[in-house]
Amino acid sequence: MHTQPSAEEVQYESWYKYGVACLLLEMAISIAVCGYSLYLTFHGWGGFPGKH
Amino acid sequence: MSTHKVEQLIIATVGFFWCFLMWFSTAAFSPSIAAHYHLNIKALGLLASSAIWMAPAGRIIAGWASDRFGAPRTFAFILLVCGAVSIASAYTASYSALFVERVIVAIAGVSFVVGIQHVAQWFDAHEIGTAEGLYAGTGNVGAGAGALLLPRIFGLNYQGAFLWLGVVAIGIAVWYLVRGQSARSSQARELVRSRSDLRGTLFVWSRYIAIALMLAYAMSFGLEISMNAWLPSYFTRGFHEAILALGFNSVAGIQIAAGTFAAVQSFTASLFRPFSGFMSDLFQRKGWTPLPFIARNLPYAPRLHWLGIALLLIVMAMAGLTVGGMTGSLHISVSVLVALGVFISFGTGGTFALVPLLFPDRPGAAAGFIGGVSTAAAIAYPLIFASGSNIHIGYAYVALFLFLPFVLFYFWAARHERHPEEHGLLTNALAFEEA
Repeated sequence: MHTQPSAEEVQYESWYKYGVACLLLEMAISIAVCGYSLYLTFHGWGGFPGKH
Repeated sequence: MSTHKVEQLIIATVGFFWCFLMWFSTAAFSPSIAAHYHLNIKALGLLASSAIWMAPAGRIIAGWASDRFGAPRTFAFILLVCGAVSIASAYTASYSALFVERVIVAIAGVSFVVGIQHVAQWFDAHEIGTAEGLYAGTGNVGAGAGALLLPRIFGLNYQGAFLWLGVVAIGIAVWYLVRGQSARSSQARELVRSRSDLRGTLFVWSRYIAIALMLAYAMSFGLEISMNAWLPSYFTRGFHEAILALGFNSVAGIQIAAGTFAAVQSFTASLFRPFSGFMSDLFQRKGWTPLPFIARNLPYAPRLHWLGIALLLIVMAMAGLTVGGMTGSLHISVSVLVALGVFISFGTGGTFALVPLLFPDRPGAAAGFIGGVSTAAAIAYPLIFASGSNIHIGYAYVALFLFLPFVLFYFWAARHERHPEEHGLLTNALAFEEA
């Protein structure tokens, strides 16, 4: 672990923007899967991934 | 050997993902195993609960071992043992032997703290939240992916699944050994190794801030895994009429509906976790310290405030779950549950954005204590949920009688403006080592 720089010194390396893109993708997947499965279930069609 | 910290993050994340896949693979095939061995409901419950047995003690030992021997060797050892036993379980004909073998395979769940230690040894303080969040959040998805994909790929052939899970685990272990490196520098590695004695471990366990973070993780991850087990029963019993009204009349249909409502908590709690790490980084970068009482001048003070906000949100969502249940509205309850899943992720991601910063010389011992002991809470919560006169009231009881005191303790432990890790039990006895 390395020391905490002050706010002015923070310089993110190139990997960081890809890391943030990755976490945004994971959030989008979470929202899409939850939204889709709840939509199906509340309409009585069976939730993802099950069938009814 | 030339490497990059992103390569080390990817190795740790893939290893953790696969360990989580193995950890919950028994549960994914429990109907097939029950049918094969003609298990009754009691035996099935025992098999399901066995997955968690090794976590509290195992994580403590794994955390210490990663400090002592380095994360690559410790992680590879876990993968090799669990992989070999998983392969053996594919050829077992006796249920007793299978049960014992699957308990051993469930040791894979302790790998979480090893990867936390590994990532902490490579990433800088200003990016640690996002790095640990990506590691833990993406790895956690292994549990959901297992439940989702394994039965679809292998059908009833659980032996085939256990065989291939074991073979791939051994392959990842070899990869981890060949490409994994314990720390960014040999000095950092030596410092952590030299602090991995019993006194150093006791020092971590006795710190008020470590205990506060352990309780914070019990409020978040402990709650998450207890809800995984509790929520299907809750929706089946607490919203039976509402689920029937949606058109789910058969037992299988009710199980699907209740399981879907329960899964949203697990899914959001896992996949929002990296975002929580990013938010911790953002609080740090912006210097946000909005909460009263909590320290404002520590180098990582904004991260303490982010975790404090997460804990307060969890308490409110738990109370909201009781209110939603009391209204009888399935839509309100599920909406609150989605929010609870997100807030839980804020707690899990916020906790492990702090642990390596508070205990930079003992990241494994700290992760083992905080990530291990907290899982025991998962056993207590469902008992309280089920003990109330009304099935909806248990969430409010847990919020009021457990979580609120935990939050107050967190605020109290995080109030020190200088070195909160110096405050704890037996400080004088352990201070000699620290001097």
